[in-house]
Order: sequence, then C-alpha cells, then structure tokens
Amino acid sequence: MDSNGVLLSVENLSTHFSTEDGLAKAVEDVSFAVEKGKTFALVGESGCGKSVTALSIMRLIPDPPGKIVSGRIMLGGRDLLGLSQKRMRAVRGNRIAMIFQEPMTSLNPVFTVGNQIVETIKLHQRKSSEQAWADAVEMLKQVGIGDAERRVYEYPHQMSGGMRQRVMIAMAVSCQPELIIADEPTTALDVTIQAQILDLLDELQRQNGMSILLITHDLGVVAERADDVAVMYASRIAETADAKSLFESPLHPYTQGLLKSVPQLGFEGERLPTIPGVVPDPLAFPTGCKFHPRCAIGCDDKRCQAVEPELREVRSGRDVACWYAPGYESRQEREEYESKYKR
Amino acid sequence: MGSEPIKNELAAEGRSLWQDGLRRLRRRRLAVVCFVVVVIYFGLAGFVYLAEFMDWRVGPVNWSQEVGKQYQPPSRDNIFGTDIFGQSVWRKTLYGAKISITVALCASFISVFIGVPLGAIAGYFRGFVDEIIVWVYSTLSSVPYILLILAFAVVLRDKSLFGHKLTGITSVYLAIGLTSWVGICRLIRGEVMKHKEREYVLAAKSYGCGAGRIIFRHLIPNVFHIVIIDFSLRFVDFIHAEVILSFLGLGEATRPSWGAMINDARIELSRGVWWQMLAATLAIFFISLALNIFGDALRDCLDPKLKTEQG
Amino acid sequence: MNQSTNDNNGVLLGVEELKTYFPVKRGLLQRTVGYIRAVDGVSFSIRKGQTLGLVGESGCGKTTAARTIIRLIPATSGKVTFDGIDVLGVGKKQLQSLRRRITTVFQDPYSSLNPRMTVGDIVGEPLRVHKRLSRDQVVGQVSEVLEKVGLSPGHVNRYPHEFSGGQRQRIGVARALVLRPELVICDEPVSALDVSIQSQILNLLKDLQDDFGLTYLFIAHDLAVVEFFCDVIAVMYLGKIVERADADELYHNPLHPYTRALMSVIPKVSAGRRGQRTATGGEVPSALKPPGGCPFHPRCPLAEDICRGKMPPFERKGEQGEHFVACWKC
Repeated sequence: MDSNGVLLSVENLSTHFSTEDGLAKAVEDVSFAVEKGKTFALVGESGCGKSVTALSIMRLIPDPPGKIVSGRIMLGGRDLLGLSQKRMRAVRGNRIAMIFQEPMTSLNPVFTVGNQIVETIKLHQRKSSEQAWADAVEMLKQVGIGDAERRVYEYPHQMSGGMRQRVMIAMAVSCQPELIIADEPTTALDVTIQAQILDLLDELQRQNGMSILLITHDLGVVAERADDVAVMYASRIAETADAKSLFESPLHPYTQGLLKSVPQLGFEGERLPTIPGVVPDPLAFPTGCKFHPRCAIGCDDKRCQAVEPELREVRSGRDVACWYAPGYESRQEREEYESKYKR
Repeated sequence: MGSEPIKNELAAEGRSLWQDGLRRLRRRRLAVVCFVVVVIYFGLAGFVYLAEFMDWRVGPVNWSQEVGKQYQPPSRDNIFGTDIFGQSVWRKTLYGAKISITVALCASFISVFIGVPLGAIAGYFRGFVDEIIVWVYSTLSSVPYILLILAFAVVLRDKSLFGHKLTGITSVYLAIGLTSWVGICRLIRGEVMKHKEREYVLAAKSYGCGAGRIIFRHLIPNVFHIVIIDFSLRFVDFIHAEVILSFLGLGEATRPSWGAMINDARIELSRGVWWQMLAATLAIFFISLALNIFGDALRDCLDPKLKTEQG
Repeated sequence: MNQSTNDNNGVLLGVEELKTYFPVKRGLLQRTVGYIRAVDGVSFSIRKGQTLGLVGESGCGKTTAARTIIRLIPATSGKVTFDGIDVLGVGKKQLQSLRRRITTVFQDPYSSLNPRMTVGDIVGEPLRVHKRLSRDQVVGQVSEVLEKVGLSPGHVNRYPHEFSGGQRQRIGVARALVLRPELVICDEPVSALDVSIQSQILNLLKDLQDDFGLTYLFIAHDLAVVEFFCDVIAVMYLGKIVERADADELYHNPLHPYTRALMSVIPKVSAGRRGQRTATGGEVPSALKPPGGCPFHPRCPLAEDICRGKMPPFERKGEQGEHFVACWKC
C-alpha cells in the first residue's frame, strides 16, 4: 500500500524474549508509519523497546531467545515478516539499511573501510570489483570524508569516531536504500560532530529522497531533525505526533515530564523538574498503564492501575495512550466511567 | 527524591553473581549428572581414607600377597577378574580412586596457591616484577613437562619436608603441583590486567585503597571464576599425569593406583590379559569425561559476560 | 598565592599550570617520539562551597585533569593546592589523609561498583580503609548515608546488578560521601544515565551540597547540565582552558568561538527546527600533534594569521566579574 506516501508501516508489532528469569515482552503492540522522504523519530529511554523495534523491522532479532510474536511490517505492500530468509537478505542493506550506535564495534576491525563498503555493494548489485571500488571512493566523498582515494584503504581504528560513523553511513547509503534506520547514530559522538553527522543525513535525505527512522533518546535531536515522532515507554507507544505539535503540546504525562526534565540552557530554576521513580523492568511491568506508578494522575487512579489504555487517534495525526489525555474519551464515556467507579 | 521500588522487594538478601551462576548450572541436567559422577569418585576416595583410618579392612593389608588364582578373567565372582596376585581388579580400581583423586587434588591446590598470587602480582604491578615472574614461568614451561616432573620427583624423593618424609606419592604430587602453576598464573595475570583498568578499581584507589587491598578484595574475587573453571578442567590433566608417572616408575608402590594398573597391563596384554587395563582405563575415562563436561558448563554459567541479554 | 590554611579567600582547591603529558614510544628501543598533551597548562580555583564545571568534548583533557589533581595519574608539572596543602608534593601518609577529604563520583554506574561486593560493603569500604570503627558503627554510618541519597538501608545486602542505573549512581554518590569529604569531584556523573533519571541525580547532588557543605568540581560534556549545576564554568579544548566565567555570564555572553559553537550545536528541546548554527567543520585534532598557535584555529570561523602563529594569553575580559578568555579575536 503505497498510497499517502507511506513507505513503511508497522502494525501491532510484538516481540518477546524468553530469558531464564521469565518472559520479557520487550515490544508490545507497536504501530506507526514512516512516510516517504521524511524523518520519523522513535524516542524513549533505555529499555523502552525502541532498539528492539528497529531490529524487529530488520528481522535481526536472535531467535532464540527472542521472537516476533505478532504484527505486520509493510514495506511497499509486502509484509516483511512473511518473507523467506533469502528474500529478507535481499531487503537488508538494499531497501532498508541500518546504522548503529557504536561505529567501532559495528565496523570489522580487520578489514579496510573500502573493503567493507565494496562488500555491501557487491552483495546487492552486479558490479565488477573495479566499479565497486570506484563507487566506494565516491561514497566516501559524498559523506564528506576528505582525501577519499587514500582513506578508502584505511582501517577503522585509524579513524576518529565521527569518521567511522560517516563510513557506516556510506555503507548504508551505497545501495540507495529507501529507508535508513539509524539506531542512536550520534550518541557516542561529541556534540560538535553530532551536528555534522545529522546535517549529513539531512543532506543525503534531500538528495536521495529516502526516509529515515531515527531511534534516539535525545529529545533535542528529535526536536531539530524529525518530522514525526513516536514516544515509547516500557514496550509501548505512549504518543505519536508530528514533531512541532509534540513539543508544543505534549499530550501524554510521560512526554510532558520528559520534556520538562531535560536540562536546557537558560533554565532559571534551582531544581530540575523530574519524573519520580524508575523505568520498570521488562520482567516485572506494572499492571494497567505501565506509566501509572510514576504519573501524578495515574498513581491514584483505579482505572490507570488496572486497565492498559490502547493507542487511540485523538486528532488527525496524533495518537495517545492515556485515559486522561484530552480527546481520548468522549464526554459521555468519561461520565460513564466516573459514575461507575468514582462513587 | 524518595526511594524507588526495585524488583524482589520481598527478599532482603541479595543475589550474588555466584548464586546466579549456580542457579543456571542447576538447570543443566547433563552438568548436574556429571557433577554427581565427580562426587561419587570423591566419595569413594574419601571412603577409602576413612576405612584406612578406622581400620575397617575393606582391602588386604598387602596387595602383593598371593591370595588366589592369578589372571582370572571377569566372572561372576570378580567383575573385572583378578591380577597377578589373584587380587580382585574391581577392588583395586575402587581403591585406586584414592590415589588419583589425592594426587590431582593436592597438585591442583599447590598450583593454585602458587599461580594465583603470582599471576595477580604480575598483572597488577607490571613493570619489573611482571617481567621476572613472566621470565620464570616462561622458562619453566619451555622445558618438556614430563622431564620437569621427573626431575622434581626424583629430587624430592627421599627428602623431608617439614619433618615429613616424602614418600613416593607425595613427591609425585608436589612435583606435578610445582610445575603446573604456569597455566593458571598466565590466565590470572591476563584477567587482572584487564580488570585493573575498570572504574571500580580506580574508585578504590581514589578513596585510599592500597595495592594489597585492591588485589585481594577487588581483583581476585572478580577473576576467581577462572580459577574454578581451570581447576575442574585441569583436574583431568593431573589424573593423567599420575598415570604417566606410574608408567615411569615413580609413584605409589604399595597401594593400587590406576597408573600402576595400566603399567602392569603393558606386560599382561601380551599374555592376553586385558581386564586390568580396561578397568583402569574406564575409571579414568569416566571421571575425565564428567570433569570436562562439567568444566565447560561451569565456564558457560560462571562467566558474567556470558549472561544472556535482551536487545 | 597564600600558603597558610584557612586563609585563601576561602579558596579550597587551587590548580596552577597543571600539565599531564603522556610519552609516546615507538620502535624497537621504545624511544620517546612525542607527547600526548592531555592537560596542557590548566589553572583555576574553587572557593569553599562553590561548584566549578569543567566542560568540553571527549579528548579535551577534563577527566585527565581531575585524575591528575588527585594523583591517580602522575602530573608532569604544575601545582595543586588543597586547603593550603601542596597535593602533588606530599608524601604517602598525607596523601592518604587527603583521600578522605577529596572523593570522586564516577561516570559509569555499571563499572564503577565492584559487582562481587554488596552495597553495604561498597559504601562501607572507605570507612574501613580510613577509620578503626566497630562493625556496628560502620553499619550505622552506611545506613545513614544511604538514606541521604534516597536508598533504603534495607538494601545493604544486595548486589549492584540488582539495581537500575540511577540507583547504582546513588550508591556511588553514597560511597563518595560516607567519609564526609570537603571536595567531591563529579566525573560525568549523569552522562551514562537516562534523561528522566539525570534530573533526579542532579537534584540529589544539589541537595547534598547544602546538607553536607560540599564543594564540587563537576566535569561534563553537556553544557546545559553544567550551566544549570555550576556557579563557575571553565571550557576546555585540547588540554587548555579557553574560557572561564560565572555560569550566568557565560550563558549570556559567551566570547570564545568554541564556546559559542558548543552552545549553538546543542539541540534545543523546543518546537521549531534548526536554528542558526555556528559552523564547526573538521574533526577534533589529535592531542599528539596539536596545531600551532591557538589550538582551535583550524576549526575557527574567525581564524587569522596571528591565531595560527601564537598562542593567545588567558586574559580577563569585561569590566566586572571573573570572565577570562584565551582568544585573539575577542
């Protein structure tokens, strides 16, 4: 289904892990859509399931102990979860490429960077060695690595973190994918280099018209670079919106708390606003709404404690999963609930 | 801000990494079976010691006494037949456990007591101290193992240590222990070198811990799982070493041991007497197999890095 | 500078021209071919009760400077004065007593706690090293400090891996405070934590400063965190301090091009994308072969010939307050 310019549609994705301590439901009923040529950010703290979601899309979840238990991932009309391993390999690197957080460990230290780019090219395209190497040099230039003809023979450890990340991006873009999944691409980099890398991704996106699924915990990066955002908490999506609306008027208490607690330049207070409590352990999620123990509204509310709110569209393009988000229930439904329980 | 709830609110006792590892180990049935086998062997050795101590007469006083028909093949009376003196091979095999286990245990302890501290000191201090220790063990390990043990065993024989006369078997395990510490020393040295750069060691230094405290309180507990794994895997080597030494004529003369049995079997085989060889070999085989499997399982379960992680 | 104790205008820690160079050895004979100038002439002072932030990106030398100050790394040259005592010069015994008065909170909550020790042992060990207390006394003091950092004393028998990142960092803070130090060095204490936990820990550290009367040397790479937390900020680049000012002053009036670049590239958490950005092209150069003259000139949009040739002096700018910059163009 390519209508509405949607490139990738994740529908009710659930991924579970069997650990020796029990079943960890890392991703539960996650749905969102990435449009063509746009940047979609999946934001959340550690353990919320965003990386697992990305790996599920790429079907790189180790099985055992992990397993994608339900859902669909539609790319250009085909459900990726239904593809054979062989077909999936043709998708990986070719139609969807992934960039990881730690460029030092995601690049093979015993091969030159040129070798690694060439390997990607030759896997998916019918090109001779000569052509592939020429392409590799070209890619390095495109990602802003100076003196590319010489650097193509260097090893990862000879390069700085920012450069290695550029090499990763070069590898990812080499086959002109439709979608790049960037899993915390700048977390391990200095802030000045971070800006360069994000600018580079922007530039490549403009040139190639590709979509970016940006996985991050950095709200600042999301605010500046994303078109649409989904906030994840404890395996579920709390809220989805376009970036502007999310930051202007966040609807979910978690998003609200998060935005307030990030230290910003020019903050005048003596103490930072915080969200009390800790992120729950996937092996021991709270009942009902997973955020309720930390929520000013939900910690005392019987419904929040018992029943998990599903993700609902409250306005065009805005989904929330919170009983008390404006527009979540009609007035009638709210009155019904209150009359039943709040007496 | 107030305290936050953590998992396992009910238990006030913590769950250490060791307990975690043990729990995982208990789930591996094969490993548990192997452990039981090992325990049986140890139990057997222990029983023999007890019997000797209590004078229970489970075996003849003199194993070299002619008690019956020699070289009887396995039958209903003697499962593994009899040896040259008519002694029951089965009984000899059971008795032999005592020697083998003792040798292996003592040798293991000696090598751990020498190898671990030396490795820790070398790995922690580096520099000159490290170079000396490395030089010592490199030299030691360059000499062929058997020659080294032979040399030690011959020298130690008939000498006294702390007033005790060194009998044949004592010199054997001293020799094995004194030459086998190199492996564990190397391992510990490597691990200590890795661990001493960890932040918790730096933190310890920052509030004033001296080298001794850091090595014994912080580093060794974190590398000790290596010792345990190495112990279980090396045990087998030590049992084999006892066999080889018996072959070479150094070993326990008056009591039966598996090595001595195999040594005797060399001649016996030419006469068509195979049961003593089989009994000793089977005894060694089963303990070796059990320890190998158990040792591997230990490594999988005790190494904190191998804990399964979610994505 | 005044040498006697208790009379330094309340200056608790003074650092003068601190240098830490690491020799680089090559070749068969391991000859020294050069030096990594990790810390290249750093000077600052912290008054009692104050918080000084040392901020910069990776490789600028901030962590190395902190570790040199407490002699975890040997200094190449320079002077460090704590309460009038010459830290770099004292003997072992005095150094040991200094280790009671200056403690550190480390960055990584996952590797800064010994995984084989219980919380009680971890927090209690500094007491055991320095004081001869009875078992009960140790337990009492440990419980007290655990409560102060927001943990329950009932947790003393648990192991670090049973706690979350934020809780482990609280344990680290407890360990740093159990000796009732005067100066606490916080080495990137929140960088490895989740966003919603960062603010908890920062608030905690602030509260504790009042409770315990602490002085902080706060190291971070996040300028926004430093600006919130610190009274004075020193910006480091390639081993040198390029600008130092009160936090407010620095925020409203950043002078050095690097400081301005840092501020502009920090992504802002607010609606509306991509404001104006001060260009910072290029990579951070290696500390082995730093550029001649001003270390920032290869990436500086204002660089001129003088910047390439001569190292700018660290000078006071502005009329009031303590605002220092090392830049020819300011």
